[in-house]
Amino acid sequence: MMLVVFAVTAASVILAQRNIATTVKRDLERQFQSDLAASHAIQQMRQAALAERSRALARKSRIHAALEDDALDLLYPSAQDELLDVRENNPSQIETAGGKQIFHARFYRFLDGHGAVISPTDLRQAGALSTAEERQLALGTAPEKIQTGYLLRDARVGEEDMDEIIAIPIASTENGGPVGALVLGFRPIDVPVADNNSPTKSGIWVAGHLYLPGLDNSSREALAREVSDAITRSQYQEKSFPVDLNGQPFLGFYRQLNGGSGYPPAYEVGIYSLTDSLARQRRLLWQFTGVGVLLLAGAFVASHFLSVQLAVPVEKLAVDSEENRTQRARAEEALEVTHEELQRSARFSADASHQLKTPVTVLRAGLEELLAGETLTPEVRSEVSTLVHQTFRLTSVIEDLLLLSRMDAGRLKLDLSPVNLSQLIEGWLDDLDALPDPLSLNIETDFPADLFIEGEKRFTTLILQNLLENARKYNRTNGRISITVRTDDKWVHFSIGNTGHTIPDDAKDHVFQRFYRGVMGENLPGHGLGLNLARELARLHQGDLRLISSGNDWTEFELRFLLVRLTSEKSIRQP
Amino acid sequence: MNKRYEIVTTGGILSTNPPLAVVYLEGVFPAAVSTGVKQVTQKDMTFVPMLLPIQTGTRVEFPNLDDTYHNIFSYSPTKRFDLGRYRPDERPIPSVMFDQPGLVVLRCDIHEHMRGLILVIGSPYFVLTDIEGRYRLEGLPAGDYKLKVWLDSRTTLERSIKLENGTTLGADFP
Repeated sequence: MMLVVFAVTAASVILAQRNIATTVKRDLERQFQSDLAASHAIQQMRQAALAERSRALARKSRIHAALEDDALDLLYPSAQDELLDVRENNPSQIETAGGKQIFHARFYRFLDGHGAVISPTDLRQAGALSTAEERQLALGTAPEKIQTGYLLRDARVGEEDMDEIIAIPIASTENGGPVGALVLGFRPIDVPVADNNSPTKSGIWVAGHLYLPGLDNSSREALAREVSDAITRSQYQEKSFPVDLNGQPFLGFYRQLNGGSGYPPAYEVGIYSLTDSLARQRRLLWQFTGVGVLLLAGAFVASHFLSVQLAVPVEKLAVDSEENRTQRARAEEALEVTHEELQRSARFSADASHQLKTPVTVLRAGLEELLAGETLTPEVRSEVSTLVHQTFRLTSVIEDLLLLSRMDAGRLKLDLSPVNLSQLIEGWLDDLDALPDPLSLNIETDFPADLFIEGEKRFTTLILQNLLENARKYNRTNGRISITVRTDDKWVHFSIGNTGHTIPDDAKDHVFQRFYRGVMGENLPGHGLGLNLARELARLHQGDLRLISSGNDWTEFELRFLLVRLTSEKSIRQP
Repeated sequence: MNKRYEIVTTGGILSTNPPLAVVYLEGVFPAAVSTGVKQVTQKDMTFVPMLLPIQTGTRVEFPNLDDTYHNIFSYSPTKRFDLGRYRPDERPIPSVMFDQPGLVVLRCDIHEHMRGLILVIGSPYFVLTDIEGRYRLEGLPAGDYKLKVWLDSRTTLERSIKLENGTTLGADFP
């Protein structure tokens, strides 16, 4: 996250800095171009004025006569009056720029019909030029259009001096063809012309020579070399380039001034000091970097704060999770132990029951064989009979234990089918009638006929027998048993209540525990497995058994089974 | 002689339009005692005649017949002169003595378009052709001569001829 923030911020800073650098460079070039445009406007104005002057000159009969009638010696004297106000012979003239006369020529020369220079007889009037200088004014032929160029003046060693030259064609008045030309030389217009503090400097480059006032000689020579290289390398007529002069950075620019001229190509060369703008850029870069660092620091603090805030619940979650894991591991461990103990216990019960059943059967058979003997006294026979009866109890306990151990081990699977509950109740009531009734019990029943439940008959019977036996067993003399069955959409509710011994409050929670007999008294038959077995079996039937109430001479249990609504398609499995 | 024609310049060559030619006999002749005075007037801003052949030593007057100034001058090597500005009533009439053979281009400093030609010939025998180029030279002395034809400022044709008394020679130039 921090890396992303850092990268985005750094990229933004770099982009913004580059954008500003580009803008600054563009502004520089624009200012540069604007400065140059000012000087070009003056040059164009001057050329236009001179062109008009030359047209008037070419119309003069004497000029024509001198050129056409082989009277070149009379050319300069004839033109003298005409060109009087073109020459800079009056220092007080007002059209100046940078202290120079810009509309007045330093010299003038005529070219003949072949473009060769016609030397003047009076140098004072036409302006002095050396032979080498004069030779530079020649053109291959008399021009048809205005030609511009630059004249390298003879200067002191290590210095450069140039004059701007303009060759204006002189056309025949008869046929318009060129008969000669007038060449005028002017001081170059320096740029900028208005502001000496401007960072722009401009000059002229011709044939490896650079005229650029205000630049020291070594810088000027270095710049001349740069421009020469740039012009040689590039096919463009104008171009900007960076250049170092005396360790100072400049933006250089050149542009050809006299495209299509018969004079050697001349380039306007401008330089713009980048020192200030680079300092400005550096300042901006520092400012941007500072802002970037602040942004990053802010982002760091913010993200740190956020991460701390986010980390608290996560850490808590981790701790909680660890605790949960530990607790779960412990619980699983305990469960495993319990399960193993349960398995062991169930296995023990099953094994014990199996091991016990056989000796009990052998014991009963022996006792019954003894009873069948004729040798026993009536007292002994009574004792043996009691012992036989005890073996039946023992078998019952063993069978209950075996059943419970099968349930505990999860091995008891019921084979569920519709069982006629009404019939089972009626059967038991019939059995009860056949038994002696020492307590003179009053039995009340209220159940519908042919009520079917979901169950396996032998286990359903076992549950009912347990409950009905208990109701009879724990009753009192002249007591009462109530059997009620009602149904709802899903369930069959079998309620059985009886008078007699009630269950104390502190024992109510334990009556369904195995081997718990509580306060029932040892004189009553039972081994504390009945209710436990009944409930476990009821639950296997997807039903339940619970104690509804016990107190005030009345104890009531409710047994719940799944109701089966018989349709014509369903068959009833008969026992 | 007063037919209207004009001087034209083509490629720096002056000629007349329609084309006229001057036919003259070149040889050794006794110097003329008096050749009289010829005139080239300025009328309607033109020279009249525009082409005037004269014998060397002839004085030519340049009377101004316009109502404005004229300034007749010539930069021709044959004769350089400058009469300065003068009005029609200038007296004596400005004139120039032409003492060398050759072509003289007349110009007016005030009216740049004005052109006139004076062909100074070192012979008394010359004549201007008509528009068709026909000419006739009469009273010529017998002897061997060169017959020359001036066509324009650059072109002069010539032919050697032998003249005999009482005869007429036909000489055609292509």
